[in-house]
Amino acid sequence: MVRKVQTVALTGGGVVRGAIRLLPISVFVVPFGIAFGIAATEGGLGPHQVTAMSVLVFSAMAQFAALEFLQEPVAFVSLGLVVLALSGRLVIMGASLSPWVNRLPIRKRFLTLVLLSDANFADTQTLLQRGESDLGPLFGGGLVLWIFWIGSTAIGAYGGDMLGDTEALGFGVVMLCFFAATATGMVRSTPTFLTPVIVAIGVSVMTQPYLPVGWNILFAAMLGGLTAAIRHAE
Amino acid sequence: MLSEGSYLIAVAAMALVVLVSRLSGAFVMAWVTPTPRVEKFLEGMAVSVIAALVASSLVTADTKTFVATGCAVIVAIFLRNVIFAMIAGMLTAAAFPHII
Repeated sequence: MVRKVQTVALTGGGVVRGAIRLLPISVFVVPFGIAFGIAATEGGLGPHQVTAMSVLVFSAMAQFAALEFLQEPVAFVSLGLVVLALSGRLVIMGASLSPWVNRLPIRKRFLTLVLLSDANFADTQTLLQRGESDLGPLFGGGLVLWIFWIGSTAIGAYGGDMLGDTEALGFGVVMLCFFAATATGMVRSTPTFLTPVIVAIGVSVMTQPYLPVGWNILFAAMLGGLTAAIRHAE
Repeated sequence: MLSEGSYLIAVAAMALVVLVSRLSGAFVMAWVTPTPRVEKFLEGMAVSVIAALVASSLVTADTKTFVATGCAVIVAIFLRNVIFAMIAGMLTAAAFPHII
């Protein structure tokens, strides 16, 4: 059972706490950032352009996918649709955070969500389950992820040639372990989550060959949510 | 090569789509009455989106990644600690080529 709290805040202490919590995770963003910086400069973008993209977009999956489109003539509509598919899960994350976020004043809602991404969302879920009432950790975690993403992209873009193959280090596994462990922890604390999780895993795996990348995750998450709502009605 | 103009339009479009995705979920939910059933739906989606992300990545993953993630899940079940689970997954991935 997710504990409900009466008042929701966004404090500086919470921001710092979230930043410290996600510092060890952010280190594993670095190889991806460097790999993106190298790939994007090889694709014809200037180092400044690559770094600016990481500052403004801050989405590893969307940025990697966009590289396919960044040649003249640019297929802007296809680019937009691919980015939408890959960032669509952020809509679901924002909606699921809404019971907390929407109790803040409008400007603070913006601040809380502007750096929303997979890792700080997952970490915040662990905290909210424990009865957390401060959304500072969501923003703080996003801030440290954002800084590491920009920094590592810049390293790859400006000095990529000297670094060699960073993907061989296999850090992608660690991020996956973090998400898997977070979901496991949530089910451990709230056993009723088990059925929605099984539905979501099954749907995402089965629809993967038929739906474009990203949409299968959206579809699976919605069916997982519906399962939870239906089970509650029973 | 990409012209400066095309770059600016492309990055602006990408930034806008991602920003709207980040903000719109909570924004839209402000108009939905939070009944207990809606809350269950949102809670179910929160855990499902993380699980689906992992499952979807594992479909195309190699054996090493699969085994390492499995170890992380087992450690998370028994020790209830995300950091320990990550370390277990990382060690498994590092040791894997030497075992097989």
